[in-house]
Amino acid sequence: MALIQVQSVSVAYGSPAKPVLNNIGLDIEAGEFICLLGRTGCGKSTLLRLILGSETPASGVVTVKGSPRQRPDPVCGYVPQKYSLFPDRTVLDNITFGPEVSEFNLLTRWSPRFYSRRREFRKEALQLMQRLGLRESDAGKYPDQLSGGMQQRVAIAQAFINKPRILLMDEAFSALDPGTRQGMQRLMKQLWRDTGITVVFVTHNTKEALALATRVVVLAKPAPDQGAGILMQFPVAQPCAEAEIGELTTRLESVFGGSEDLEDSLVPTA
Amino acid sequence: MAAGSFLMHAKPGRFSSTMLSWILFATGIGLYFYTAQARHHENPDDRVTPTLAQMVKGITEAAVKPAEDDEPLADNAPLTQRLLASMLWKDTKATARRFVYSLALLVPAVLLGLHMGLFPYAGAFFLRFVLFFDKIVALSLLPILFIAFGIDELSKIMLIVIGVAPTIILDTFNLSRGVPGEQLVKAFTLGARDFDVAYRVVMKQILPRVLNSLRLNLKAVMLFLFAGEMIASTEGLAYRISLLRRHMAMDVIIPYVLWVALLLFVVDLSMRLLNRKLHPWFHEA
Repeated sequence: MALIQVQSVSVAYGSPAKPVLNNIGLDIEAGEFICLLGRTGCGKSTLLRLILGSETPASGVVTVKGSPRQRPDPVCGYVPQKYSLFPDRTVLDNITFGPEVSEFNLLTRWSPRFYSRRREFRKEALQLMQRLGLRESDAGKYPDQLSGGMQQRVAIAQAFINKPRILLMDEAFSALDPGTRQGMQRLMKQLWRDTGITVVFVTHNTKEALALATRVVVLAKPAPDQGAGILMQFPVAQPCAEAEIGELTTRLESVFGGSEDLEDSLVPTA
Repeated sequence: MAAGSFLMHAKPGRFSSTMLSWILFATGIGLYFYTAQARHHENPDDRVTPTLAQMVKGITEAAVKPAEDDEPLADNAPLTQRLLASMLWKDTKATARRFVYSLALLVPAVLLGLHMGLFPYAGAFFLRFVLFFDKIVALSLLPILFIAFGIDELSKIMLIVIGVAPTIILDTFNLSRGVPGEQLVKAFTLGARDFDVAYRVVMKQILPRVLNSLRLNLKAVMLFLFAGEMIASTEGLAYRISLLRRHMAMDVIIPYVLWVALLLFVVDLSMRLLNRKLHPWFHEA
């Protein structure tokens, strides 16, 4: 059985109901790196939130390990585009937040055991920071003292320390400059290889999707007033050769009207 | 002064800023004493605008002598005993006690606002009622409070709580709702439970703004406190001001008013410094 199963899922918002997703079916196996690709507003993030459990479908069902998703839980790690970090916590406290709340509730966090465990969490967090290219001197900084790229590294560390089975990333690198973005893509790929985690990555950038994914799932609306469906999906051999990236990019761009970034592109011609 | 000095892009220096900020104070003080001088020149017994010497004498007596209705002290009583038995200290203590009780009773208001903002059923249950309650003019409830709770401390404290709590509840409610949904979802994915999210994520983030909201409502708290004290009380700063008004004792009333302003300023400053100390990550807009 696939790790994540999206079965005949439809979502509509508002009254009268405006369809967002229409009859989506998708199976994601453990260890896959899926990129959900599509134009802004085509329902990529909605599909991600369904897997996350923060939204429920109007019809159909989303399951993870065979259980229907009801609410966000530690099975899925989450890295959004912004507001990933808690502004009132330092980098170190942001990273150790997960283990701390998982093990200690509001009352038990005042026990002596909490403090000894916290030392262990901090040690682990510092190791993870180093692995993600963050300096130890950044540990005491607050999120607003970090660059966008560093903030996302911390957000990834925050998610990874809890060792989730699945990592859901919602346009996590979209707000970064091209250089930082490429660096983050390399880092993400390395982490995925090292840990074997299942990643679902939402993006509207075709090159980014092809650089990261083992499978690209393209979502599109057949018409503006209709819900999005899966327009196409295809596997990508990783590492993907330059020539193959070029060929697939051309194929995708022909569908979306000739732009690498689908945010700028026209309605799909397919 | 250059032609563009008053334009939006002007950058007053440190000295100019300091000087400018004191001009209105100096003008007010100057105008007062000029008026006082002129009135005393016309009528040496004028009680409306006491001179500086009269005010110093009035407040000094208030600070070292008991009130008229209290037991007088022995002439050789030590200064500490005099200060602690003085009218000013007794009134300040009474008002401060009510003020602190009222602030403490606003803590549940903050918690209610937090829960209303985060737990939809709590929001649905309380919001409409609090919105309605917020529109009731608290002072109009004063007679009802006096009938229901008597004219003791409770009615005065309830007046403050009823007057200010809805604002604090709604402020906290809005602040809780303002925390990005991504943060709540992220916390859940990190293993947090509902109350962890409420108290370890949202409460911690909104606390500096809640403290600011309390700071902005300090004046309202004092307003209701003064209203209660002026109507039914036997001690307190407002009670004293109201009592002295009957004797036209402006030489004590004016220092009392300044004393209240100073106390409020100190409380506000302390809360601001505490906020900065507790929340170094918070930058006020």
